[in-house]
Amino acid sequence: MVEVKNLSKRYGDHLAVDNLSFTVDKGQILGFLGPNGAGKSTTMNIITGYISATEGSVKINGVDIFDEPEEVKKMIGYLPEFPPLYPDMTVKEYLYFVADLKKVEKKKRKQMIADIMEATKITPMADRLIKHLSKGYKQRVGLAQAIMGYPELIILDEPTVGLDPKQIIEMRELIKDLSKNHTVILSSHIMQEVSAVCDTVMIIDKGKLIISDKPENLSTRLGATGGLRLSVKGDKKVIFEALKSVSRINKIVRHAYVNPGVVELTVYCNENEDIREEVFYALVKANTPILEMQSLRMSLEDIFLKVTSSSKHSSLQEADGNDAEESVEKEVSSNAGDI
Amino acid sequence: MLAIYKKELRSYFNSMIGYVFMAFFLLIIGVYYFFNNLMYHLANFEYTLSLISFIFILLIPLLTMRLMAEENKQKTDQLLYTAPVTATAIVAGKFLAVLTILSMVMGITCFYPLILSRYGDVQLSSAYAGIGAFLLLGAAYLSMGLFISSLTDSQVVAAVISFVVFLFTVLMDGIAGMFSSDNKTAVIVFSVILVLICIMLYKMMHNLTVAIGVGVVCEAVLLTLFFTNPTLFDGSVRKVFSWLSVNTRYDNFTIGVFDLSAIVYYISFTVLFNFLTVQVIKKKRWS
Repeated sequence: MVEVKNLSKRYGDHLAVDNLSFTVDKGQILGFLGPNGAGKSTTMNIITGYISATEGSVKINGVDIFDEPEEVKKMIGYLPEFPPLYPDMTVKEYLYFVADLKKVEKKKRKQMIADIMEATKITPMADRLIKHLSKGYKQRVGLAQAIMGYPELIILDEPTVGLDPKQIIEMRELIKDLSKNHTVILSSHIMQEVSAVCDTVMIIDKGKLIISDKPENLSTRLGATGGLRLSVKGDKKVIFEALKSVSRINKIVRHAYVNPGVVELTVYCNENEDIREEVFYALVKANTPILEMQSLRMSLEDIFLKVTSSSKHSSLQEADGNDAEESVEKEVSSNAGDI
Repeated sequence: MLAIYKKELRSYFNSMIGYVFMAFFLLIIGVYYFFNNLMYHLANFEYTLSLISFIFILLIPLLTMRLMAEENKQKTDQLLYTAPVTATAIVAGKFLAVLTILSMVMGITCFYPLILSRYGDVQLSSAYAGIGAFLLLGAAYLSMGLFISSLTDSQVVAAVISFVVFLFTVLMDGIAGMFSSDNKTAVIVFSVILVLICIMLYKMMHNLTVAIGVGVVCEAVLLTLFFTNPTLFDGSVRKVFSWLSVNTRYDNFTIGVFDLSAIVYYISFTVLFNFLTVQVIKKKRWS
């Protein structure tokens, strides 16, 4: 459906998008994840034909955006970072204008606008001036604009910015609904959003693709850190002595106390090894009951921080390799600080 | 195109600008018509129009300043440029919308010669030719205003620049007359203009080699022409400056001459500036 090849965009000396390639299949939801200024909006602007690429090609249904922009633009609905609204129009006027602009057939127009207003829950605002709407409603009118004409590909740049938690959930549901009949590309810097909605997540930073996978794979792929988080009741020395008997443990990190008499610690072993039973029996032998035991697994948030904060993330291998150890330690120590 | 045309037209009459423009324009025309034609019994309405061509300087920026600048500012240009319409259609829609408003005013003035004709002999053909030419003169200014508006994202900047440029085109005739007509002055003036063009080129393209290259090549051509055929430059400054003088083209109509060259001039001027506006929009994509 969408085929992006070796896309680059250069502004003077600054490389906003750097050799980006990906494909999106029909009916999928692709999420761009990245910090501010990562090149998410630039990429979207290129796909929609708003700006040109310095190099590379974008094809939608096999049609190149540079060769036949009008043809491709018919297939795309776009909600940019700032919803493109005319403040002096009412919601209804605006949607009629957009329908007209996108060449929706006259007969279907009325019904389509009513349906879209219903779906985006802006029907009660139909006759209000857009400048009088709250940010959340403006965002939804922007979304309504993007869906207008039911294009095959819908591109949403940070669709949930400015919405309250309830609206965010509604928006996610709406996006999921849309994906039944449309292909969706959305961008966000919020992790839960992407993991809740998307089929595929692409993490980009400084214009480069860092990693691209399913959200659940991402956490197993990067999240296996090999270790356990423990709360153990008993004396510190006894517990440490007992754990030392477990040979496969590489490192033990103790955290600050929460309750007196309870030791909070994290033990590390090699990745993909299961030491839970050994730890359990060792501590039972020492007569120190385990109150809590949890495998270390990174959330998408951690993965995101991990891959975007390392300075030399030119390839996935590097992020997977040496850097991982370092960031994990950082992450754990910051956790210790919280407790 | 029709969608943009309708939207623009509606926005002029949703806000006050459309009404203010029409009311003020008609008021000025009415006052001049009253004194010249009704009080002093002048039968030529086209002459009255020539006296008020200066109000284009004031009123056209009012109409054109928001056309593109506001889209750029509100980021609604993203909607337009990602919709399945061409840049040409966008510009055409916007231009035709403002032209329609001006036509409404000129349409109303079509009654004025008829009123005069009740009181005596009025040559209606030359009066209507005058009204038509006046509309084309306005169209030329509108296209220039639209072009200037597309260069900025501030309405105020667009209005001020339009005002200054329009003023310049009116004063152009007088300025041209002040230059002496010998060929050395001509070469110097053209060189200065060339330098200004090169600076503009550099500002637009941020490429020093291209700007200097164009400047050197053009200057070389200029000097070769000067040394091989110096008579070519006699009086050329006036000629070139009067090309840019939009208002003086109307003069022939005031004495009842149907000046086809002026009509062609206005139409080409309008097409040229609309073309430039389309290029500005297209260039934006490539910046």
